[in-house]
Amino acid sequence: MLALDQVSKRYGRKLVLDRVEQSFAPGLTLLTGPSGAGKSTLLRLLATAEAPSGGRICWNGVALPRARTALRRALGYAPQAVDLPEDLTAREFGLHMAALKGLDAREADRQFLALADAVGLHADANNRIATYSGGMRRRLVLVQALLGRPALLALDEPTAELDRDSADRVSALIVSRAREAVVVMTTHLADALAPRAAAVLRVTDGKVLPA
Amino acid sequence: MSAVAVAASSLSAALARYWRSWGLWILLLIAPIGARLFVPRDDGTTIIISVGDRLPLMTSATIGACLGVVVSTLLLPAAYIYLRANTNRRQPWQIADVTPASRVAIALGRYAADLTVLAGALAALNLAGLFLGSLILPAGVNPLELSLALWVIAGPALMGLAALHRLFDALPPLRGALGDLLYFVLWITTLALPSTTTVARPSFAGNMADPGGFVRPLVHGAGLSEPDFTIGGAEVKPGRTPVDTLGGIASPGYLPSRAAWCGIALLVAALSGLVYRPREAPRRRRLAPRLTRWLEPGAPPPADPGSSPARLLARPEAGLLFGEARLIGRGRLFKLLALAVAIGGAFVHDLKLALSAALLPLVFALTAHAGRSEGGLRNLTRLAPLPLWARRLAFVAAAAGWTTALTLPHALVQASPGTAGLAAAFGAAAGALAITIAATSRSAFAPRILLLIAWYAFSAS
Repeated sequence: MLALDQVSKRYGRKLVLDRVEQSFAPGLTLLTGPSGAGKSTLLRLLATAEAPSGGRICWNGVALPRARTALRRALGYAPQAVDLPEDLTAREFGLHMAALKGLDAREADRQFLALADAVGLHADANNRIATYSGGMRRRLVLVQALLGRPALLALDEPTAELDRDSADRVSALIVSRAREAVVVMTTHLADALAPRAAAVLRVTDGKVLPA
Repeated sequence: MSAVAVAASSLSAALARYWRSWGLWILLLIAPIGARLFVPRDDGTTIIISVGDRLPLMTSATIGACLGVVVSTLLLPAAYIYLRANTNRRQPWQIADVTPASRVAIALGRYAADLTVLAGALAALNLAGLFLGSLILPAGVNPLELSLALWVIAGPALMGLAALHRLFDALPPLRGALGDLLYFVLWITTLALPSTTTVARPSFAGNMADPGGFVRPLVHGAGLSEPDFTIGGAEVKPGRTPVDTLGGIASPGYLPSRAAWCGIALLVAALSGLVYRPREAPRRRRLAPRLTRWLEPGAPPPADPGSSPARLLARPEAGLLFGEARLIGRGRLFKLLALAVAIGGAFVHDLKLALSAALLPLVFALTAHAGRSEGGLRNLTRLAPLPLWARRLAFVAAAAGWTTALTLPHALVQASPGTAGLAAAFGAAAGALAITIAATSRSAFAPRILLLIAWYAFSAS
């Protein structure tokens, strides 16, 4: 269970999130709202990539930063932009990320290949990332987030740049994971996914409200 | 979770990336070229290393010591450029930073990868030394003595370089130009420091003042009281000075000092994991926030769709030239420095001093813009109406223009008509070097450190 208690985020003079009060239970939560509303900022806060300017974030009842390591052990994070190591193969990259998450190498390889198969990357798993298209990179970032079956998934537009078939496969995979994990996700496909979501929230003017 | 597994994974991922970079082969090639240039030969075809105004008498161990000089003078800056400019710098920090992995384990894994690459370069140097030794030593080369001298001298220096690389990469202020400047200062200091010590009596403290580690092995047994040796184009007297390189290595305090430098390097590498700060940590603005804000370039003016086209659009070549000049001189800090240098130059009699002062801020401005335009923006700029080479030519012309402008007050006040041409030539040369190396390495790191070295050589000449 993830809870935000009066969480604010400020960049210089700009208040991006204003005293957000929200909790996230297992299931799929969709974040919608206009560009620049603060959806990605909210995900970065949940993923401990940034600290809030005010308020507190609690993971299973313990506030950050005390709970940071526990939260990171349970986390799968797929931001929109990642500086992918172009000269590694997708499989090498996946295994390295799995090692950073603490997964056993053999189990990590098994999971990586299964996930790559699920998102349609299996045939290109041993190719260098430099040869990947935008959509393939997006799926690779999602795959690394799903490694280790995390209990908390923070996904920023995982279906962007994907063709319809790939977007459907990725959506199905995410929905299946949401049965056992807290999944918070921004997407431009909110209408299509809303029936399968536990909650749809709208981020606007620094506030997070039910859509 | 095992920290060892994290370190091992970081090591293998970084090594795979190093192995696939073309720069590694250049680094390995530099080593044998350095060996050919630095091992003193009677035919005068090498850079002179002299001890007490004479060439050292060559033994296997002395060749190892001369190769140690290659490491300090040639391999350290080359390896620094390679480590800094390599694609390995591009890490998926956005996701790696939020994993539970120990930062110290990641840092030590990457440090081990850096060390492996540097050990490879040292091994190439060692092989070249053995080959050279077999040619110039009448009694044949002793591989053990040569290798021992080389690795004891150069190993700690390379460990220190790798540790600094990790430390600079861990701290946001040192990831860019400031880190390069600091490394340049440290490198020059390590070369200059030994000349301040006495060599009459070997001691731990005296050897610690020689991070490069080549002074004691090179002068031991030569009967000198001062570190009287020269590296470079010195005139030497006939005959050879006998030196006891192995005796220097075994002298009191030498090996402990090398071990101490190794320990310091390992500590710095581990420290880099502890002090690591994420890439986009918000800047602290507690100190002089207004000044910080004022020095930032600021947002561009809002676009006005109703405005008339810029006049220079009718002459795209002129627009390109002014555009490049404006981008080189981006930011208030550079303009402030440029103004100070230009005004200061008017009061300086020495042309070389005025030119040196003008070139220093330009080294940073030129390489920063060259790195931006040849790195991330090249794919965009190659689609511009004017060809890529025209933009590069405009860059070189703008560099010449900036140098001329910065030395103009000196030329006017000192009534020195030749200044403008000389400044333009130096500026164009610096610009051409910056854009060529940035185009090859696709970053600002390699041209910046090379131009800093060239600037230092010019200023100190």
